[in-house]
Amino acid sequence: MKEATRDRRQPAEIALALVAGWLIPGAGHFLLGRRRLGLAFLTIVAIMIALGVGLAGELYAFDSPDRLSKLGALAEASLGVPYLVLELGLRYEGKIREVGYSYGTAFLLTAGLMNILLLLDVYDRAVGRKE
Amino acid sequence: MIGHFPLMIVYSSLVALFLSLLWQSEKKGRIRLFLQVFLGMVLGGLAMAWLMYPFPSGPPAPFP
Repeated sequence: MKEATRDRRQPAEIALALVAGWLIPGAGHFLLGRRRLGLAFLTIVAIMIALGVGLAGELYAFDSPDRLSKLGALAEASLGVPYLVLELGLRYEGKIREVGYSYGTAFLLTAGLMNILLLLDVYDRAVGRKE
Repeated sequence: MIGHFPLMIVYSSLVALFLSLLWQSEKKGRIRLFLQVFLGMVLGGLAMAWLMYPFPSGPPAPFP
């Protein structure tokens, strides 16, 4: 079994990287010193969000009675600040009658799921499981 | 609104780029994974569309 030989970060540093990564996609990698990678992830997720909003995709809310919508809200809330700005700041919901609604929703959901994968990756890098 | 196929290309490109940057650290591995994911999504989507072609779409779903 391959041992984790890389540096393990302090718990506070790990927590900071995870919180930063949740709030701003890619920020966790940036704080761990992988700046170009962090910027690349930020760019990709930002494009996904812009396309999702541009196509009038749905931004799910937690107060929906539908369980699947709550899961959608959980995925999209993983976007951190962009979700908060869209949900609370701009009161964005999406437009179901727009032609691109389904596509936009797929882009927004995928962007949220991407950030969950990024957070798992930040954790792995922070505890030394990944270089 | 851009068409279905260009949207599929854009979506597949972004997902493939994301996964290749996330899961591979070397340039060669990234290019290989990007092509695998991108072509898998696009060709898989086209194959699914071709398989579904004989089935009629039916009446449009009512708006909720």
